[in-house]
Amino acid sequence: MSKVYGVGIKVSVVLVALLTSAWPAAAQSQAPTALAAPTGDAQRGKVVFETTLRCFACHGYDGQTGSPRLVPMARSEDIFLAYVRKPATQGMPSFAAVSEQQLRDAYAYIRSIPQAAPAPDSVPLIKGILDRRTKAK
Amino acid sequence: MADSIDRRDFFKGAALGAAGLVVTAEKAADAVAAPAAPPVTLPTDPHVHDLAYAQAQSTVTTPPTRVTTQGRPASDFMVDVLKKIGFEYAAINPGSTFQGLHESLINYGKNTAPELLTCLHEEAAVAMAHGYAKAAGKPMLVAVHGTVGLLHSSMALFQAWADRVPVVLIVGHHRNPSGVINRPHSAQDMGLLVRSFVKFDDEATNLERFAEAAMRAYKIAMTPPMGPVVLTVAAELQESMVTNEPRIPELVVPAPPQGESAAVREAARLLVASENPLIQIAKLGRTPKAWDLLIELAETLQAPVDTLGYSSWQKFPSWHPLYGTGGRGYTPDVTLGLEVTDMSAQARAARASNRKTISISAEHLFQGSNIHDYGRYADVDLAIAADAEATLPSLIEEVRRQITPARKSAIEARGQRVAAAHKAGQLDGIREAKYGWDASPVSVPRLIAELGDQIAKDDWAIVSGHQFTGDWQRRLLNHDKPYRYNGDCGGFGIGYDTPASVGGALAHKKNGRLSVAIVGDGDLNYSPGVLWTAAHHKIPLLFIVHNNRAYHAEVMIIQRMCGVRGRGNENAHIGNVIADPDPNYAQLAKAYGMYSEGPIEHPKDLAGAYQRALAKVRAGEPALIDVVSQPR
Repeated sequence: MSKVYGVGIKVSVVLVALLTSAWPAAAQSQAPTALAAPTGDAQRGKVVFETTLRCFACHGYDGQTGSPRLVPMARSEDIFLAYVRKPATQGMPSFAAVSEQQLRDAYAYIRSIPQAAPAPDSVPLIKGILDRRTKAK
Repeated sequence: MADSIDRRDFFKGAALGAAGLVVTAEKAADAVAAPAAPPVTLPTDPHVHDLAYAQAQSTVTTPPTRVTTQGRPASDFMVDVLKKIGFEYAAINPGSTFQGLHESLINYGKNTAPELLTCLHEEAAVAMAHGYAKAAGKPMLVAVHGTVGLLHSSMALFQAWADRVPVVLIVGHHRNPSGVINRPHSAQDMGLLVRSFVKFDDEATNLERFAEAAMRAYKIAMTPPMGPVVLTVAAELQESMVTNEPRIPELVVPAPPQGESAAVREAARLLVASENPLIQIAKLGRTPKAWDLLIELAETLQAPVDTLGYSSWQKFPSWHPLYGTGGRGYTPDVTLGLEVTDMSAQARAARASNRKTISISAEHLFQGSNIHDYGRYADVDLAIAADAEATLPSLIEEVRRQITPARKSAIEARGQRVAAAHKAGQLDGIREAKYGWDASPVSVPRLIAELGDQIAKDDWAIVSGHQFTGDWQRRLLNHDKPYRYNGDCGGFGIGYDTPASVGGALAHKKNGRLSVAIVGDGDLNYSPGVLWTAAHHKIPLLFIVHNNRAYHAEVMIIQRMCGVRGRGNENAHIGNVIADPDPNYAQLAKAYGMYSEGPIEHPKDLAGAYQRALAKVRAGEPALIDVVSQPR
């Protein structure tokens, strides 16, 4: 919910537009299995993600319902840290003032989140919508 | 009041009864012994209803309304004027500055056409009128108290202004105020308080002028570009008596202007010759006719239709093959804007790359504004100052006339490419609903998809805006009728959705449509009292609270600002979060007498809750489901 739409909407649209184009493309270029294991603590990272830094505000509680999606995370830990400290996009906040340990913990938590996206055709509601849209004239 | 009771006799009795009530105990014996008060001698001056006369009377005599039992109150005449205009409803929050009109509406006017809607805040009253006007195609009357009521109304008047939506508001005041309460409710220039964002305001100083000003106000509100209007009516005038009754003029709303024929011909020439035309719309769709006309134009040209997001009324079917921007790589060489408030960005981009822009809009007739919503100067190639809806028939005819067989085949080929690209993109967009499908809190697409499943066999209408549900609504629900979606607030200020949805639902009630509003928790908290209005007036409407427990866009904004200044991000939630304690909106609705369920945190619980709530709505009641949701 945005109180000041003129700012809120604009910024959130920029966030969505810029981050969607900038991050996932890079993220998806690497398979998660090729990444080294995280060094941080996923349990502490959950607190950072949900409470301290509130990453969920943009990315969703599970890192998947917002934009851009963080799960599956395909960036290495070092690239992740470099990015969040000095983002390449205007919409993404800089987390340069956050401790390295907190960022490593957040990364570990993101890596621990299971992907929760069933195949669309396996969900009757989504399949029904797809069928209706396919038949729409 | 029963028809068999003579109104004047009733007034006599009521006044005598009221006189008895105000007699003090000490004077009771005298009062009983005193002879009945002589009948009031009504003024016979033909200008008795003039404000100056009323003022003079009020300074030298006891206000006549306190004992008036005979004659015709001026506010009864006002009701006749309002009835002639044809208002179905009047949304009010009561106040003494329009007590005369209020009494006339409920007794003389028998509380029908207009029927009073009791609102618990003036902003809610005007926002209800805003939503109603877009769904009904005509204004609702609003009546508010002098200064205080108008100031409470001001935000919603601003939204109606920015959304180009007609609202007719009457505000009372005292021309000759006395006492510490009345004086602050009066103003030298009442309209000044909101003049920056109303299209017209006037003060009626006598009944003849009231009749003309009311007709004029309605006419101006409904003439494109439409907008809210304010009519100030002094309490002294309302409570004066009619002698020589003025004639009530006919309501004449002018036909909206059509585009000049040569300019329309040139627009058609550019569009027919274009390889990649694009149609953009915003405040198009004063009437349902625009829906069919736009489809006809788009299909004749096989041109994609871009509905331009949040500020648009979005009057084009969302699953139509031409709904969209043409697909990846489609670069428009001619962009036609229909009632697009600000085309400056399109015009600048087009001029930089030798492309063309056309604007057909009543916006070109705007006289000026203190608000910058009209945008930057747009140096389009062809500007037609006209109502786009009224111009569409001649534009379509001209386009048809100019299409040669050779162009026709090129146009058809384009249409096939565009339709294929749109379909693929829209199916991909629907598939994205899978992310977080079983997540708790509930994802926005799940919230909408479950709703769509439950209302698939209803004639439904979404009466809230969609800023905070993104474009999921149009992705997952087929907006195949002009009333499926009622547009957003216009002015990008929060607090519109909840009350405007009640107004929209009221308009749909008589057509038997099932109204649904998806409102944010932030929005609901601005005027929750409108839930009571919906319950009290039995306005069927399903509220779904998209309860993400924060102003989440602002969380992101402050996070970004924290990052820019390098001072840590852990405080970004302060001032933005609506939690601890977590408001319970289902309990709030229950307190206002509305059926409700929630908070619902797991998507598996949605279907049952919707089912039970929709049963109430289909039976004619409002209901509310509080869904704890993902931020966006």
